[in-house]
Amino acid sequence: MSSPAPIIRSRQTEKEVNGISTQVACTEFSNYIFVVLTQYGKIGTLISVTPDSRSNDITTPTLSTKVLLGKDEPLTHVCAKNLATFVSQEAGNRPVLLGLALKDSSIDSIKQMKEIIRSCQVW
Amino acid sequence: VDAVVNGHTSLMIAFDAISVHNFSEKILEQVVHFHVMKLSGGFFLWVGSTPVLSNLAVSMSSKYDSVPLSTLVIGDPSNTAPNSLAQRLAKKTKKQVFVSYSLPVTDSNLGLLVENRIKKELELHPEHF
Repeated sequence: MSSPAPIIRSRQTEKEVNGISTQVACTEFSNYIFVVLTQYGKIGTLISVTPDSRSNDITTPTLSTKVLLGKDEPLTHVCAKNLATFVSQEAGNRPVLLGLALKDSSIDSIKQMKEIIRSCQVW
Repeated sequence: VDAVVNGHTSLMIAFDAISVHNFSEKILEQVVHFHVMKLSGGFFLWVGSTPVLSNLAVSMSSKYDSVPLSTLVIGDPSNTAPNSLAQRLAKKTKKQVFVSYSLPVTDSNLGLLVENRIKKELELHPEHF
């Protein structure tokens, strides 16, 4: 059975955020960074975070969020933008596909979660 | 305090940690890579020869229909390969299945061989799905 090195890079971890078990899995594709952030063990709501086409190279592009699967509510867009903007920017303005299933989306928790995502950097 | 501790413990053991499994196989003169992410009650499967995510379908069984429900969330809807693969895997595993079939769809024979390879892995290593 042939088994060359995987061409998809991924990292995952589990940490506690305000007492809740939180898992992160990051996977790198050439056209997407796929981030799963979950407190239910599931992908949950699937959101695409896409940089708008750049008008010039000097300014950093703004990001659009779109709920691909799940409940489309304002807080989801806020969380997604907050969590995925730095990923997209650091990955050379690549779109981020974000799976979000949170029990706690307080500002304090979101801040901690960003650090967990950073610890799984694949970009 | 006890209740809090117990509640906390139940949160910790409510589901298994996400796990990732990679395998690959040379099929019809090209190396096809497979990437599986095991989740609670489902899995994500990517199939491709280059590290591109060109589509994504989601499928799960419904009690109202013998054919699992399926929808394409990313990609060209005229390409039915991701949806049909997701549907067949959802039926076989009874789980929620995310599939990205990022291979060229020019050769229909390839699709069949790829699916057989996935089924083989499902039988050999069910713990990864």
